[in-house]
Amino acid sequence: MSIEQQYRTRAKELLSAGEVKMVIGYGAGTTAERRRPLFITSPDETERLVLDSACIANLSGYLVTEGLLSDEKRVAVFLRPEGIRALNVLAAEAQLDPLQVVIIGFDLPKGELKALQGSSVDDFTALLGALKESTPDVDGRELLEKIEKMSPEERFAFWQEEFSKCIKCYACRQACPMCYCRRCIVDSNQPQWVNTSSHTLGNFEWNIVRAFHLSGRCVECGNCDRACPVNIPLRLINRKMAQEVLDSFNHFAGTSKTQEPVLASFKKDDSETFIL
Amino acid sequence: MSEPFEPKITAFVCTYCTYAGADLAGTSRLKYAPNVRIIRLPCTGRISPMFILKALQKGADGILISGCHPGDCHFTHGNYHARRRWMVFRALLSFTGIPEERIKYSWISAAEGLKFADLINNITEDIRKLGPFDQYHKLIEETQAQASL
Ligand code: SF4
Ligand code: SF4
Repeated sequence: MSIEQQYRTRAKELLSAGEVKMVIGYGAGTTAERRRPLFITSPDETERLVLDSACIANLSGYLVTEGLLSDEKRVAVFLRPEGIRALNVLAAEAQLDPLQVVIIGFDLPKGELKALQGSSVDDFTALLGALKESTPDVDGRELLEKIEKMSPEERFAFWQEEFSKCIKCYACRQACPMCYCRRCIVDSNQPQWVNTSSHTLGNFEWNIVRAFHLSGRCVECGNCDRACPVNIPLRLINRKMAQEVLDSFNHFAGTSKTQEPVLASFKKDDSETFIL
Repeated sequence: MSEPFEPKITAFVCTYCTYAGADLAGTSRLKYAPNVRIIRLPCTGRISPMFILKALQKGADGILISGCHPGDCHFTHGNYHARRRWMVFRALLSFTGIPEERIKYSWISAAEGLKFADLINNITEDIRKLGPFDQYHKLIEETQAQASL
């Protein structure tokens, strides 16, 4: 039986037995290569679930939909390792109770569909620990290294060019499972921290704020990068900041449901070579 | 003839240590460069990175963030939290091309009036050498241009 068929059966069993009230998975999209999130509440609909190498979106963000978990019933969700990390971050930040989430895990190493064993976040601790030690194979690594070697003026010019394209649609924010604030700082107008005009200044500020708020929390699922309609390489900033917290604080976001958020904790001997 | 460049520097300081240090510099009649605008906050833990962005948005050429030495925080660990945040924010600004030399961090206690005066003088000189933050000022100008339809 294909993994897809196995998982359809599993989803059907979970729903029929009343173990979960909903399964969040993938369904066919508008074109052959696209998938869209599917929210299934009846066992008869599970045949609509699709699972293949095009299922790349991180679905964990739907779990914090207002009211979804407030009745204490459980929800099953299709997640890749990044999604499981995101679930841990949400749990560590007290946004949900991970016991209410049944994980239907899969991975796509080199585009090949692979099933993952386990159903609750703790079943994946070893897998996530190993991920921390591995060097991620990120698209754009060469460009990242190139930017790091540039002078500050060149870096500024590079990002100025990129951010000038931003249309402040906030799709990157909507797509990110970790951007759950009810009121985002860019929507605040008393005081107005970020310039709201469509000029590069405000775009620059917005992108800095977004990246800062995700530092040490981003799991590099790529949802934001794929959502950006003008193709700003957000993955480069995400990668840079993930590397920064790993190097400085040995922190890899989302390894456990009780992990201390890196910017809400400290060590007395944190490095301070830059402080006069 | 154009005026010589005078850097605009914004300093965000905590009230218990650095502000008291600045006060001591004043009462000790130490002279220091008049380029710095001091903004007093309850704790370094209250100095949001947004303040740095706001100061740049309003045309600052340099920024100083300063508070109590580790272990001396009035609220016991506001400065430890702040230090982590600065480390991360600093790396981010540097990656986006905002020069590290324009944003300085220091620990200055209430007893260090002399350190405060010296630091302000040094920072002012450093920023004077770097010149105005033209790249950022151009972005600001763009938002002020008349709309042409
Ligand atoms: S910032 Fe982007 S890559 Fe990181 S968790 Fe959010 S959506 Fe995923
Ligand atoms: S998705 Fe892209 S264009 Fe839209 S706000 Fe984010 S960075 Fe800007």
